[in-house]
Amino acid sequence: MVVGCFRKSLSCASRLRTFTTHTRDIRLFIKRPAIHRTVKSTLQELENANPRSFHTSHPAMVTKILTVDEIFSKKSLHDFLKKKEMEYISCLEALNTDNQTLDEEEMKIKRNNLSVLAPLVQKMKELEDKQKDLKDTQELLTDNDPDMHDLAETESQNCLAAIHDIKLKILSFLIPEEESDMSDLVLEVTAGVGGQEAMLFTDEIFDMYQNFAAFNGWGFDVLEVMSSELGGVRNATASISGPLSYKKLKFEAGVHRVQRVPKTEKQGRMHTSTMTVAILPQPTEISFSVNPKDLRIETKRASGAGGQHVNTTDSAVRIVHLPTGIVSECQQERSQIKNKEKAMTLLRAKLYSARLEEETSKRYQARKVQIGTKGRSEKIRTYNFSQDRITDHRIGKTIHDVHGFLQGEELLEEMIEYLQQFSEQESLMDILKDTDYNQQ
Amino acid sequence: MTSKKMWFLGRLMHRHKRLSQLSSFFRSASCAAEGAVAPPVDSSVTAEQAVRLWAQHFTLHGISEPLLSSQYIIAHVLGKKTFEGVDRRQLKDPLTDTQTVSVWNLCTKRLTSMPVQYVIEEWDFRDLTLKMKPPVFIPRPETEELVGLVLENLRLIRGESYGADLRCLEVGVGSGAISLSLLHSIPQLRVFALDQSQAAVCLTMENANRLGLQDRLEVQQLDVMGDSDALLSKCGPVHFLVSNPPYLLTQEMQSLQTEIVRFEDHAALDGGLDGLSVIRSILVLASELLIERGRVYLEVAQCHPPVIRQMIEETMPGLLYLETRCDLSNRPRFCIIQRRA
Repeated sequence: MVVGCFRKSLSCASRLRTFTTHTRDIRLFIKRPAIHRTVKSTLQELENANPRSFHTSHPAMVTKILTVDEIFSKKSLHDFLKKKEMEYISCLEALNTDNQTLDEEEMKIKRNNLSVLAPLVQKMKELEDKQKDLKDTQELLTDNDPDMHDLAETESQNCLAAIHDIKLKILSFLIPEEESDMSDLVLEVTAGVGGQEAMLFTDEIFDMYQNFAAFNGWGFDVLEVMSSELGGVRNATASISGPLSYKKLKFEAGVHRVQRVPKTEKQGRMHTSTMTVAILPQPTEISFSVNPKDLRIETKRASGAGGQHVNTTDSAVRIVHLPTGIVSECQQERSQIKNKEKAMTLLRAKLYSARLEEETSKRYQARKVQIGTKGRSEKIRTYNFSQDRITDHRIGKTIHDVHGFLQGEELLEEMIEYLQQFSEQESLMDILKDTDYNQQ
Repeated sequence: MTSKKMWFLGRLMHRHKRLSQLSSFFRSASCAAEGAVAPPVDSSVTAEQAVRLWAQHFTLHGISEPLLSSQYIIAHVLGKKTFEGVDRRQLKDPLTDTQTVSVWNLCTKRLTSMPVQYVIEEWDFRDLTLKMKPPVFIPRPETEELVGLVLENLRLIRGESYGADLRCLEVGVGSGAISLSLLHSIPQLRVFALDQSQAAVCLTMENANRLGLQDRLEVQQLDVMGDSDALLSKCGPVHFLVSNPPYLLTQEMQSLQTEIVRFEDHAALDGGLDGLSVIRSILVLASELLIERGRVYLEVAQCHPPVIRQMIEETMPGLLYLETRCDLSNRPRFCIIQRRA
């Protein structure tokens, strides 16, 4: 049975190879029994549930989210922590010895460094103490006195729990904060391949995020909607603001694919259509400014005399950023100046995101969970109606109940939490890999 | 008679009644305007169908901005400001009978070239929604920029909070757009506003009451050209003067859009032979009413700024022409003038 299953997953993997570029993962899961087990059990579950609906696109790519202990068993993590401790000690020495060779600027950097490292080093010390406690207690476990044994048992349980908490804390110190994590954002949805069906799906996805914003208590301000004559949406943008809005939604960027029988389909055939989500962080006035000289503002009043000479109701505004050619427009309001403000919001978000993308493209090249507009061309998720499932291809996570998911409430939240965990783990692994690399 | 037959006849009569209702709008429509729209074949129309139907009909009758007009009116009936703001699924739902009646009534008004703003009796100006009523002048988007310019300029002179005790005079208040926007943005501002038209004075007061800004606003029916003595006795010194005065040349008046010629108060547009007659009176008034270094902010026609500058330099020693600013379409549109110390 085991052999059979393994062969099945192997053949599954080879089929996968033709679909995906993530060959690294496939190698991983063949080599590593832990992941193999995951695949096997998922396969079994699936076959038990519905033997006919076997499909290859989801189970083999399940990517494991490592436990805290698994991460701490890595040598690279210990090396990294050791390095940080050394850095702390050297900073401390440099500042304490009243060194005359250091100038004001260097002193400042060292002091800053110290304040960043201090909590981490303190936690590491705590961890060391607790581990020593645990060792001592475990020695007592061999004691013959049953009361003593019980006491030691409880104590070592407590120690283990405390160690786990400290480890979590240490990891959270290591995961870097993104510059834009605290910002608001502009959401842009665009219909892709699939004609009217793609536009209908785009409409549903736009609604899903509108509900998700309400679910999280965020503001949702529609900037622009280009509806299709036949129904559905070609393109829509909205500004979303509220605590953690960008941090949560950044994982939604990319190509979303829908597989279903469209309402317009008369012969009952299944169609596959796509739409694209872009998530652009919204910069504050202070952190990012645009030179007014670089802008060309277009309105319907541009021709003719304007002013009292004409009475028009077309208050749409279009702004072109001349150096980059980036364009934004708004016709959501009756007041022209309001439309101009909204178009500016959109334009600033687009410009900022272009800049961020440039800055971070190197850092994220190897990542699977893409952020910002990066990965717009990458298919990230499939909504399959006939199997009633949503699969995120970056982490191989499948959630059932498509209609519930499209409500934009708990199920979407659940998916986003998985992505968040995975992304944190990846950035941690990146740091550790850098440490390895530097040591070689 | 079987109950089935009864039901069938009842349904037929009901449908017939609604159809005749619809066609009666069209009879009244054809009386009011030239031409009628064919009533929808089925008695229920969706918002989307109504938009398309009326857009076609407006095009047929040479009404300007046919699609936008139809969209604004239907959005208004659905309780939204713009068509973009209407829930997209709502567009597929049939309009209720009352909604259909008001869409047909309002669109019929638009067929007479009445401006959309008068048809739906309201429009937005910056942050405010104002009531609009013929023949009071409908504020143009350029004037939103004038208010922005005044606010920016005041912040520059008096600091972020505009300082305490600030008084302003507006000449030609119309629907109240400029004064009410300024009052809305500056909590310590008091405004004295005037207009030669009683309709404008009433509409401004109505808008002020709706927005709860009436306490800091005084509106008087006065003519800046004829009643300057009365004005001087009623209005004390002010920190700044703002106006969007009539600045069209008399010869331009007949070539304007039908919407403007037929429905808007000509007195709010016609600035005399050179378009400057009201502006001259305002500048004379400015040298009397402004405090030292107080400023005048004017919206003018694009040919005016150099003429005004020359006029001030040659004939008004008490004033200093500071600056010309352009509107969004890069036309010289705004003049800033200061009273000398």
